Amino acid sequence: MQFKFILRSMARNKVYAGINILGLGLGIAAVLLIFQVVRYELGYNKNFSRYDRIVRVVTQSQSSEGESWNPCVPIPAMFAIPDAVPELTQVARMREFWPSISVPGAEDGTPPKKFLRKDPSVAFFTEPSFFEIFDLEWLAGDPKTALRDEGSVVIIRSEAERFFGSWQAAMNETLVLDNVARVTVRGVVEDLPPDCDLPINMLASWPTYIAQQALYYYDDNWGSCNSSNQVFGLLADASQLGAAERSLAKVGEKQYAENSSTGKADKTHRLQPMSDLHFSDKLNNSAFRTITKGRLKVLSFIALLILGMACFNFINLSTAMASQRAKEIGVRKTLGVGRGQLLRQFLGETAVVSVLSVALGVAVARLCLPLLKHISDVPVEAPFLSLPQTWAFLVFVTIAVTLLAGFYPAVVLAGFEPAGALKNSVGAVRGGHRAWVRQSLVVLQFSIAIAFIVGTIITLSQLHFIRTKDLGFDQNLIYTFYYNNDSLSVAKLNTLKNRLLQAPEVEAVSYNTDPPSSGNSWMSNFAFPSNAEDADFALQIKYADTDYPKTFGLRMAAGKWYDPSDTMKQAVVNEAFLRKMGVEKPEDAIGEDLKLGGRAGIIITGVVQDFHAFSVHQPIAPLMISTQRDYYYNAAVKVNPGDMAAAARAIESAFDEVYPEQVFEGHWYDETIARFYEDENRFANACKGFGVLAIFIACIGLFGLSSHAAARRAKEIGIRKVLGAGTAGITALLARDFIKLVLVAFVLAAPAGWYFMNRWLQDFAYRIDIQWWVFVVAGAVALVGATLVVALQTVRAALADPVESLRSE
Amino acid sequence: MIRTNKLVKVYRTDEVQTTALNAVDVSIAEGEFVAVMGPSGCGKSTLLNVLGMIDSPSSGEYFFNGEEIGKLPERKRSDVRKHNLGFVFQSFNLIDELTVYENIELPMLYTKVPAAQRKKRVEELMEGMNIMHRRNHFPQQLSGGQQQRVAVARAVVNKPKLILADEPTGNLDSQNGDEVMKILADLNAEGTTILMVTHSQYCAEFGNRIIRMLDGQVVTENVIRQYL
Repeated sequence: MQFKFILRSMARNKVYAGINILGLGLGIAAVLLIFQVVRYELGYNKNFSRYDRIVRVVTQSQSSEGESWNPCVPIPAMFAIPDAVPELTQVARMREFWPSISVPGAEDGTPPKKFLRKDPSVAFFTEPSFFEIFDLEWLAGDPKTALRDEGSVVIIRSEAERFFGSWQAAMNETLVLDNVARVTVRGVVEDLPPDCDLPINMLASWPTYIAQQALYYYDDNWGSCNSSNQVFGLLADASQLGAAERSLAKVGEKQYAENSSTGKADKTHRLQPMSDLHFSDKLNNSAFRTITKGRLKVLSFIALLILGMACFNFINLSTAMASQRAKEIGVRKTLGVGRGQLLRQFLGETAVVSVLSVALGVAVARLCLPLLKHISDVPVEAPFLSLPQTWAFLVFVTIAVTLLAGFYPAVVLAGFEPAGALKNSVGAVRGGHRAWVRQSLVVLQFSIAIAFIVGTIITLSQLHFIRTKDLGFDQNLIYTFYYNNDSLSVAKLNTLKNRLLQAPEVEAVSYNTDPPSSGNSWMSNFAFPSNAEDADFALQIKYADTDYPKTFGLRMAAGKWYDPSDTMKQAVVNEAFLRKMGVEKPEDAIGEDLKLGGRAGIIITGVVQDFHAFSVHQPIAPLMISTQRDYYYNAAVKVNPGDMAAAARAIESAFDEVYPEQVFEGHWYDETIARFYEDENRFANACKGFGVLAIFIACIGLFGLSSHAAARRAKEIGIRKVLGAGTAGITALLARDFIKLVLVAFVLAAPAGWYFMNRWLQDFAYRIDIQWWVFVVAGAVALVGATLVVALQTVRAALADPVESLRSE
Repeated sequence: MIRTNKLVKVYRTDEVQTTALNAVDVSIAEGEFVAVMGPSGCGKSTLLNVLGMIDSPSSGEYFFNGEEIGKLPERKRSDVRKHNLGFVFQSFNLIDELTVYENIELPMLYTKVPAAQRKKRVEELMEGMNIMHRRNHFPQQLSGGQQQRVAVARAVVNKPKLILADEPTGNLDSQNGDEVMKILADLNAEGTTILMVTHSQYCAEFGNRIIRMLDGQVVTENVIRQYL
């Protein structure tokens, strides 16, 4: 009967029920989507059954610039760790690499099959202990022997199917890595799930790494710490982390001290638990994707805000309409129903609304799932409604919403004195108090909405600033691709350059280590001039040929680019270098020399104007560009404006002609740069999406309240009209109360919005100033939205025939 | 059944203090049909509400079946109400979302009467009040007289010892009013005590005693028929 009663009551108050269910449904959809993101991110790496015992050895370095962290481990340290750290029952040396892969052609003339790397995927050179740490599901092969010998690899099922048609056909077949290393498939394992920071597509044996030393920069030196050389270990017990770290601290102690200019070890090794791999803000992982728990907390907080806003609507409408229910409550009370029983009844009613809202929320969330990619990395196909956690969460949300939205109104309604309720004087007696609560909640809602708008405008402005900022080089019309720098390939580089330059679309070609702005960094200690002491900070280095400035449109501040050379003899430095070294006029640096590492006498031939070598999060650092032909592996091709697709095709066909056996994978450089700001893009998208939702929820709440106010004041409006009031006057009278609330909300939200967005902007070395108009626009959007919604109701009330409303009395 | 001693009810707002009941002493014996009369604002309805335990007195004592009600906690008063009292209002006060059947059934849900018994009792009452054919209608679909008959049926469904009626015919035409008064008189004849507030001398004379009030005080008590 109770349920029937609730449904009938909803049917009678369709608009209010609709507002409640729509608002709560959208709020719940937002919460569910954020739950999916948070759940997905928190589930990372849990596919490994020994998740809580797996650790990664990392390196903590100290310098005058402060502390820095790197997942690298020098190769000699790798070999020292198993004996030095008995707490680790298993240790696996690992070397990340990203090989191009081909299936060699047959003698009968079948051409080789080349395969593009799938993103994200990584290969590791490693040893059999890897499988003792990370449990993989074996389809074929033996984990004990598969990675024992040189030239052995284990591949994942989907790669086996891609290369050979089926995983069964892959065993003992040959693959060629980076056009050089011939390897044999000795095992096939099941694919790893997408929520794993080791997106492995291939594991190759450690002896293969040693055999291909030159190709994969095998550097057996305590001084060389390459972030691709990593060590994972397995603790006997998770509680031994501290003990293991203490043992680990001894590794390399002596060698690091010897290598340091201060005579004290500037590096020490630490352990990073697997459970931190996905959430670290200091250390990257092989999937190149981390998200801090702080970011997840911010998302969860946003979800709470949105849900809270929807609950406020429910609270406001329920208490505003309390007088409509006074009679029913009075009757029930005269029938002897106690306060507790009424409280349960009202909570029951809210529970019905919650359940309907959850159903709507689930449907909306399901529909919006593909939109998640705009604010997160969660794949559309990640399990969602099939998960028991999701359903458990839904039950929790239903209960939470019922209590959050229903408790206060239930207390208010159940607290009516029956005699007053029957006379319907409840509103008159207690209205003042409840109106205050309602007004506060409306103010809070609009404060949140305005803060979201401020956030949206500022993130979009900063993104626009980044996109249009002069980075100091050209990023448009440049096509980049990697090539193998083995001696065979390098010998044909001039041929490739000539072939490319013959194409009418191509303007310039440069070989280098990195484009001007990239995620990579090469650094070295240095002295300026050569005979001075080493500076107390490291110098950023890029290696490039003499076509580099032409290709990327770099501008000289003084002097000229260096002369062609295979090795480092001359260099150019940037303006930041001069500032840091106290050289006032760029011309004064020309002809000076510097010492890089142990190599003295590198002559400065020119000063290049500052450009952003990293994302605009970081300030422009002192930089040197020089030649070192055998380091280059990146090619950049500047093309003429015109048909870009045709240009890309021309570049690829030239490459295929020169390197028929190599895999070609090219990218437009401006797209690469845009990816640096993926995180900011997502943040802006989240602000936009949740901002629109917040405004919408606040406005439908206001719609309900204003329509109720108009209905409640129908008689007053009638009397005023009879006495000669005009439509505009009455509209203003009714709207005024609500507009005042939005103005108060603005006063609260503006400083809060400024504070949080100013903090967000601090992450950028180059950023916009927050302009006053941002707040004006945010306030105006909220005000216009609120005014429209309120006006819609009040104009209708003002236009109504006064006779009708008076007769109804 | 009912005895009050210097019952006072004062309403206060920020500026005004109104004494609705001023040291009222009344007593009502079981089986009586008492009408309370007096001009508007004299405190009749307040007295009814206080005696019906849906409003509490500011001071004074109120004994119901020998028990001092003023000292009871709200939960206990609800219990007394639930098992002993039935209300009939001038404006019917039916719940709009419930059908005729459900409105009448409601008090029995709160006293946890088993379903089969509820059905029997509701049907019996609907039959007696001649509203059986309206059982699935909602209050707005009924005439005033029909609504008041539903309200009376609801008031008596739990067989209360006392029915409190606040101007039960105030919103009815004379024919419907008459019918309702007859139902109340019949209930009284069957042993239910009735306390009714009314403006109408005609209606008052259905009872056996009239209490007249003025400015919050009882001024006279007329005995119409000696209760036997």
